[in-house]
Amino acid sequence: MASVSLQHIKKVYDNGVEVVHDFNLEIKDKEFIVFVGPSGCGKSTTLRMVAGLEDITGGELYIGDRLVNDVEPKDRDISMVFQNYALYPHITVYENMAFPLRLRKMDKEEIHKRVVQAAEILGITEYLGRKPKALSGGQRQRVAIGRAIVRDPSVFLMDEPLSNLDAKLRNQMRAEIILLRKRVDTTFIYVTHDQTEAMTLGDRIVIMQNGYIEQVGTPAEVFDTPHNLFVAGFIGSPQMNFFKAKLNKSGESYSVLVHGHTVQLEGDRAALLKEHNVSSQEIVLGVRPEHIALAQDDDPNSIDGEILVNEMMGSELHLHVRCGDDQNIILRVPTIDLSPEKRRSLVSGNHIRFSFSSKVVQIFDPKSEKSLLWTNL
Amino acid sequence: MSKKHEIPEVDIVVDHEAGVIREVKPQQTRSKKGHERRVNTSIYVILVLMSIIWLAPFVFLVFQSFRSYLTESGGMEAYLLPKTWSLDNYRWLLTDPNSHFLRWYGNTLIIAIFVAVLQTIIVLSVSYALSRLRFRGRKLIMNMVLVLGLFPGFLTMITLYFLLKQFGLTQSGAIPGLILIYVASSGMGYYISKGFFDTIPKALDESARIDGATRFQVFLKIIMPLSKPIVIYTILMAFMAPWGDYVFASYVAFGSEPNYNVAVGLYRWVNVNDYQGYFTRFCAGGVLVAVPVTALFMALQKYYVEGVTGGAVKG
Amino acid sequence: MTDLDYLKLSGAGKFAYNLGQFFRNLPGRLLGGLKGIGLWVARLFQSLGKNLKDLVVTFREGDWKTRLSYLVMGFGSCARGQWGRGILFFLFQTLFNLYMFFPNAQFSGCYYLAKLNTLGTVETYKEGRKTIYGDNSFFILLYGILTIFFIIAMIYTWRLNVKQNRLNEQFLKSGHKLKSTKEDMAALLDEQFHKTLLALPTLGVALFTILPIIFMILVAFTNFDATHQPPSKLFTWVGWDNFHQLLSTDTTSYGDTFRQVLLWTLIWAFFATFLNYFLGMLVAIMINKKGIKLKKLWRTVLVMTIAIPQFVSLLYVSKMFAADGLINTYLMKWGWISSPVPFWTDPGWARFTIILINVWIGIPYLMLIATGILMNIPADLYESARIDGANAFQMYRKITLPYMLFVTGPYLLTSFTGNINNFNVIYLLSQGKPLSLELSGNAGYTDLLITWLYKMTVSDTNYKLAATMGILVFVVLAIINLIAYNLIPSVKNEEDFQ
Repeated sequence: MASVSLQHIKKVYDNGVEVVHDFNLEIKDKEFIVFVGPSGCGKSTTLRMVAGLEDITGGELYIGDRLVNDVEPKDRDISMVFQNYALYPHITVYENMAFPLRLRKMDKEEIHKRVVQAAEILGITEYLGRKPKALSGGQRQRVAIGRAIVRDPSVFLMDEPLSNLDAKLRNQMRAEIILLRKRVDTTFIYVTHDQTEAMTLGDRIVIMQNGYIEQVGTPAEVFDTPHNLFVAGFIGSPQMNFFKAKLNKSGESYSVLVHGHTVQLEGDRAALLKEHNVSSQEIVLGVRPEHIALAQDDDPNSIDGEILVNEMMGSELHLHVRCGDDQNIILRVPTIDLSPEKRRSLVSGNHIRFSFSSKVVQIFDPKSEKSLLWTNL
Repeated sequence: MSKKHEIPEVDIVVDHEAGVIREVKPQQTRSKKGHERRVNTSIYVILVLMSIIWLAPFVFLVFQSFRSYLTESGGMEAYLLPKTWSLDNYRWLLTDPNSHFLRWYGNTLIIAIFVAVLQTIIVLSVSYALSRLRFRGRKLIMNMVLVLGLFPGFLTMITLYFLLKQFGLTQSGAIPGLILIYVASSGMGYYISKGFFDTIPKALDESARIDGATRFQVFLKIIMPLSKPIVIYTILMAFMAPWGDYVFASYVAFGSEPNYNVAVGLYRWVNVNDYQGYFTRFCAGGVLVAVPVTALFMALQKYYVEGVTGGAVKG
Repeated sequence: MTDLDYLKLSGAGKFAYNLGQFFRNLPGRLLGGLKGIGLWVARLFQSLGKNLKDLVVTFREGDWKTRLSYLVMGFGSCARGQWGRGILFFLFQTLFNLYMFFPNAQFSGCYYLAKLNTLGTVETYKEGRKTIYGDNSFFILLYGILTIFFIIAMIYTWRLNVKQNRLNEQFLKSGHKLKSTKEDMAALLDEQFHKTLLALPTLGVALFTILPIIFMILVAFTNFDATHQPPSKLFTWVGWDNFHQLLSTDTTSYGDTFRQVLLWTLIWAFFATFLNYFLGMLVAIMINKKGIKLKKLWRTVLVMTIAIPQFVSLLYVSKMFAADGLINTYLMKWGWISSPVPFWTDPGWARFTIILINVWIGIPYLMLIATGILMNIPADLYESARIDGANAFQMYRKITLPYMLFVTGPYLLTSFTGNINNFNVIYLLSQGKPLSLELSGNAGYTDLLITWLYKMTVSDTNYKLAATMGILVFVVLAIINLIAYNLIPSVKNEEDFQ
């Protein structure tokens, strides 16, 4: 059991490309941390530096209170699950799981005990005698996890462990990882490009882009208080809608003008802007699809849009709408509230009107792309 | 290497009216079928002709090796089938005191076995290091090998001959000398096995290293067991090469008849000695060399094919 | 030309454009190369300066252990407890000193080094019946090179030894512990595993390939031949004379012969590579065609020529084509010809026969390779081509062939290189014959540069010309490889394939 501390970690490849810049993060003991971001954002590289598979170009990495920059992976007391499982194809599942223990010259009885126990946790006891080739993708991933937990490592690393599985299996394994975490109770670092995995698994999420950390926080924090446009767009599905808008300050109160419609800001939004001393300026207004509601056709406080695409998702409709320059605004409309006539009218080419509450909007500075609410420019 | 594909036996028809593409069972018209049959027949004819051309020399070789030396002739004659089938030539090769054949055979076998073992170790070491380990100078080594490979190999022979002579490794010491020559530079032939190692996922090494293995243990416990085909290929190639080597063997053993290998010995029978007297003996010797080597090759053909195709595709 | 214009060109047009582009870029590239060398030299001096400065700083700031290590290598390491490293350093230094200043001056490195500029001055002579040996030019040259190798290695090791001291001092100062000998040994199986793996092979290549090649390159600038054979005679430096003799067209020189042999070598390599390539591919396509049965049998039959050692098959076949060989005798018996076909005695016939027999040897090999590749061509390419309305031949031309050529580009290059140096086929079949008075230096009409080189060495002991020829073969191959490297996409992007 150990904390992990990354201080000014930097990675520059031999060809001079810097892929991770000044990475700082304190991971607490037994915390489940998720690195998330689009491909090429440096999340896997960072994880591999923690594992010792990549050299650390600059900065210091501590596991527990030991500086491990130059420690071989085998001596870091970590274990890792790979995206492609990385099972040894020539030996049985049992031997695969016993491999790390045998290398540590553990007693035979103890090895047996641990392997059987791990197999039971993961429900793979009946496959112990098989070679990896004879297993399905989900079973292989279980074996890979089993091989990682038998050693009882102080840090558990997972590099996109679910991305090779199909959607259904992925959901199931995700739930199992949550259960597993309860049983093994150690420090986890989990890398994924999938924000749903990040939100459901992580105690805290590290959102990365182009080698930089964009934001670190609990799932609720990154969802409710995104620090910049990237985080706002990355977390949440379907993604947040962005409108070009104008922020007006008159006296002590703030209002937003968006597509001819003025929204008065109230409560904490206004307070935060005031606290940050924001004056009138161009802004990007962020509104999550679920916070937008259809309005009556004659409602003066609503925005007009043209439906481009209507996606039927079952319990709700996703409407892709164009308003002026803002393409592809997405609305989530629960089907349960819709009258049949209304529903028939929601087809491509028709116009609708919609509105949203000012309590849940996000406000960003278009130049720096930072949030005017949660960061102090 | 990805999955092997067969071209499926369906025709694809664009149905313009329906605006769709359909796959239909090959509903061959009569003429198409006939055309197909004609093509196949001509291919069979070509293949049969080729098979005859490919096998004939070897069949002739065997025939002539059984011609009686005593009652007919040991030279080249204007007929193929022996008038009397006899084992004269074989008997002479294996029992006559003037024949060094057994000695040559033994020499070649010893060389081949040693080379097979040592060269395999060296080639696998080098290709493993270049494929799966990352260290300073790796690219430099590969480029150096590329450049060195452009010099004709025989060029080094002159120097090596005098060097080996210093240590008594020529003529009567030709066998250890040859082993040394074959093995010493064999590290340069890492290309094909490196190509094979390159195809094993890197994640296996990484996973094993995290599991607690040293790089040596990764090599021994993970990569080697997965590399059976390339190990066999490397052994096979290393074992077969000394049987056919004439250049180096003739130079190192120059003039010392008991220390020839089979290639040099038999070459001298047909080209230097009076071959009219030694031709059928050469044939018999050739059969004795070719049979075991060919059998071995055929038994391991699968690995050979994997090696050459993998190597060529990888470059 | 814009990208779109280029795309409009036909295949031949594209090739011509690329070729033109290659030569147009050549001066620039050569200039770039020279600039690269210049930069490299500059960097060399820079690093030399840095190293010298570092040496001074290390000495000034170092403790007495470090300072003593300047004289006694490995002292610092031993004094700091790294016995393994220290002893190795010390052993190397001892060995070096022993070699350089061996008591018997005839065998010391200094002696060889001193004589390197003349390659020996003392002739061997006879005193009555006793031979008094003088200098041996061969060993002076060989060990002279070795000594230079050794000195470079020594300088490098010495620098390493000093650097170690500096690093160790800094390391200890920052409160870390040095690696023990045992840890050093363990590292050889882990972080330093490549050293363990490569040590022996590198030594082998250095001694058995690099050293001889450098030696022979230098021999090309000496008069080492039959009349200057150590130990009885000396040989010495002659500058570019050998190149002159091999290339110039004086009547006494080999220039004409060299050009003829070179031309035949290139023709041979071309046919041996490409004829085999296309025929092999054709055979592979025939065998792999749907509806052809006994695929395995056909393959196995063809593979016989790979399995049977070449000296058996080639020697036997060369005798089959001899004037009194089976082919001629049977053709005469059947009355098809009245006198033997001069397979080996007429230059044209001999060359033709060799290429033909080489097809027999080479097709199976390419058939195997082509089979492997054909099976890997994604089936959907053919399906899509069929939908587009292509027939069998068009599919071959537009899919199979380009795919094959792209994938086997690097192989073709290696194969061409290999054929230029293909000793076995020529020597076992014709020994380079027929000979001719029109060719000098014992060359025959089917001799390749490599077999000619062999003859010069073995029968004429004309080492100087053999060495010169070796260098020229290298130059020819280097040029071909450079051009190919610039023109064949898959050679250039070799790494992309892996």
